Amino acid sequence: MAFVLTLAFVNGCATVISKMINYRCTKILGTYNGSLVNYVVATVLSFVLLLFSSRFNINFYAFSDASWWMYLGGAFGIIAFLISMVTLSRLKVMESTILLLVGQLTAGILFDAFMFKNFSLLKLAGVLLVAGGIIWDNKISASAQEP
Amino acid sequence: MYAFFTLIAGACQSAMASLNGMLSDCVGMFGMSLMVHAIGGILLILYIRLFVHEKLKLTGMPWYLYSAGFFGIFLVASSSYCISALGVSVMTCISVTGQLVISAVIDHFGWFGVPRIPFNKKRIPCFIMILAGLILVNIA
Repeated sequence: MAFVLTLAFVNGCATVISKMINYRCTKILGTYNGSLVNYVVATVLSFVLLLFSSRFNINFYAFSDASWWMYLGGAFGIIAFLISMVTLSRLKVMESTILLLVGQLTAGILFDAFMFKNFSLLKLAGVLLVAGGIIWDNKISASAQEP
Repeated sequence: MYAFFTLIAGACQSAMASLNGMLSDCVGMFGMSLMVHAIGGILLILYIRLFVHEKLKLTGMPWYLYSAGFFGIFLVASSSYCISALGVSVMTCISVTGQLVISAVIDHFGWFGVPRIPFNKKRIPCFIMILAGLILVNIA
């Protein structure tokens, strides 16, 4: 359990570093091409890792056995990326951060409850407490940046 | 209206994470990462060709910026692994906390060439509140 919790935390740290790298990519290549680099490199690298991890014997049946809607993840990722690109220029960064978080958590709680059957009021209270803390922190940081 | 769409974008991120977890159970971590990035990449190329009319261009960056793809794989793989163990909402909470902490550390020490912003002590109560929430989530 401690390993998973640490990994989840490291995931958050890596998200920030990855955003900083992606930001520099978009400064050089433009918003869309800069993001495309991420996808192209990751696709090639995943394929190489898949080849080696399966010892050059990829199980293609597993890919056709997976239900079609499981492949929608990539599409949802692109929809989220495009929406946040378009709306970021019209909302304050703080508003956009908070709205993304609220959307993520609301959908997350619904998915957990209905798809994974993993729900409790205590957990909901904890999630709300974390969300409240993050929103509060955003407000303090934003007001500190204003002259 | 923009606010509503941003909410939807957040929901899409959760949906993506849940679906990736299920796909990963079928085709393995690297198979999932391959499909997610390949499908995302193709859709992004289509969008650029049809709506943005920009030329596709991937070269001309310093070599280390191409590590973006490595981070992409790590993020997708670790998210789907953690979600299968923790659920989407708890994973989101911990990951966002990690984002806040590392951002504060990077700003405080001025790593990666960002301007140094010393840690604001007013933020401590917020971090305590977040920590209390995380403990509550783990007891539940």
